[in-house]
Amino acid sequence: MWAEAKELWNYRMLLFSMVDRELKIRYKNSFLGFFWSMINPLITVTVLTVVFKYLARNEVPNYSAYILAAYLPYMFFQMAIMDSAQSVLSNLSLIKKIYFPREILPLAAVVGNFIHFLLAMVVFFVYLLIIAVFSHDFSVFQWSSVYLPLLLVINFLLAAGLGLLFSALNTFYEDVKYLVGIALYLNFFLSPIMYFGEITYYGHSYKLYFLYHLNPIAEMSEAYRKVLLAPQPVVIKDFPKPMPALPLDWTLLWICAAFSVAVFFLGYHVFNRMKWRFVERP
Amino acid sequence: MGEPAIHVKDLQKEFVLTHTGAASIKTALLWWKRKRIEHLHVLKGISFDVYPGQCLGVVGRNGAGKSTLLSLIARIYKPTSGVVEVRGRLAPLLELGAGFHPDLNGLQNIYINATILGLRKQQIDERLDQIIAFSELKNHIDAPVRTFSSGMAARLGFAVAVHVDAEVLLMDEVLAVGDFAFKKKCAGKIAELREQGKTILIVSHGSDEVRKIADRCIWLQHGEIKLDGGPDEVLDAYLKQSVNTFETTENL
Repeated sequence: MWAEAKELWNYRMLLFSMVDRELKIRYKNSFLGFFWSMINPLITVTVLTVVFKYLARNEVPNYSAYILAAYLPYMFFQMAIMDSAQSVLSNLSLIKKIYFPREILPLAAVVGNFIHFLLAMVVFFVYLLIIAVFSHDFSVFQWSSVYLPLLLVINFLLAAGLGLLFSALNTFYEDVKYLVGIALYLNFFLSPIMYFGEITYYGHSYKLYFLYHLNPIAEMSEAYRKVLLAPQPVVIKDFPKPMPALPLDWTLLWICAAFSVAVFFLGYHVFNRMKWRFVERP
Repeated sequence: MGEPAIHVKDLQKEFVLTHTGAASIKTALLWWKRKRIEHLHVLKGISFDVYPGQCLGVVGRNGAGKSTLLSLIARIYKPTSGVVEVRGRLAPLLELGAGFHPDLNGLQNIYINATILGLRKQQIDERLDQIIAFSELKNHIDAPVRTFSSGMAARLGFAVAVHVDAEVLLMDEVLAVGDFAFKKKCAGKIAELREQGKTILIVSHGSDEVRKIADRCIWLQHGEIKLDGGPDEVLDAYLKQSVNTFETTENL
């Protein structure tokens, strides 16, 4: 693996230019081009605000911010994995003609989406700033946001590991991308993105809360929300008043981090084992 | 003669054909026991060395293993056994413009292609004018490559490949691209590269172009080297046998 990593390092310029290619191709024939990566979260914010604040009359202040904090990382995760799973297969004609480390293809897909995600996070902070200015209350900004880079690294490693793994498998079994698509779609509902993870604790037990958050997507959703935003009391059925939010569970986060690192190495290992057979695909 | 630029030793390549075309889990599950596995022994242990400045022609009939040999040297395949070593930067011209993305313009594709071939951005900047001038596509360089004709794409591909200062060039019948004038220009460029001491390996069905530019020839037959020598000697023997085979089949 280290020999392969060294080879990849020698080809780092190609990785950058492939990422550049990804970014250019995505909005190739659109008028607004790169702004689309900001417009998507902007539209999401607007719709969420209208629905939850004005239609559903949700009592939680800035509810859309809480959803967005978990939704944007999920979107990155989904896009990165779906794009990278497809990357080797769609570039098969290229790798049949010329040598370069094949892992550049899925990695470029992940890095390209990561850049879009970072732009979306900029939109998120601008949104928080607008809320703060209009309400004259700057408490929406949390000191715990300094942990954001840690979450980004964990998230990136997990996406890259799964992207490498699925792109290699998908080259031989195209069912993989459909299975992954379903798994990601279900995870949108199985993870606390449109609701708060505390319902598993107050509604059931800490044991369930723990098990539920062993799912890395669930844990990442919770972690982003708790790191970026103020603790938000949660309305639970059968409870007379909103219950306090739980603090960020560091044990769960470190489990998720260790899992992500393991997945990254596993994905890279599997990819390296399979990558020479891509061009000999039946 | 020093170190060889291309070192090939006991090279074998075997492809496994499953005949199921297993590209889905369903077929894999359905066929896992009755797999009809066929081993295709394309290269059966070949050895040769090409020294810096040499131009080696490889001839042989369809299915003799020529393209597989090129792909092995270009590191697209991994050998089943044996050794392939290339000293210095390698530019494969297996299919010109293969690395181009149709939706990016000519300029962007030059940068990506040259990066794949191992140049840094600054080096590409320096060579950009030469590449564009050689391709004769100055007026189209800002247009997406999908609007190019196949000849134009091939010209751009050739222009990039010959300007990356590769020590070793691999070519697969590429002289058959473009119009007569461009062909002549390519031949001139190849001659120039030869004078600069670059190593060239060219694969062909046995055309006269090989006779002109190669100074050594290998005849591949059924994955083995049938003859290795001067281009005239090898090509004459090869063409003679081809004609004989043709006549024998005619008479049947």
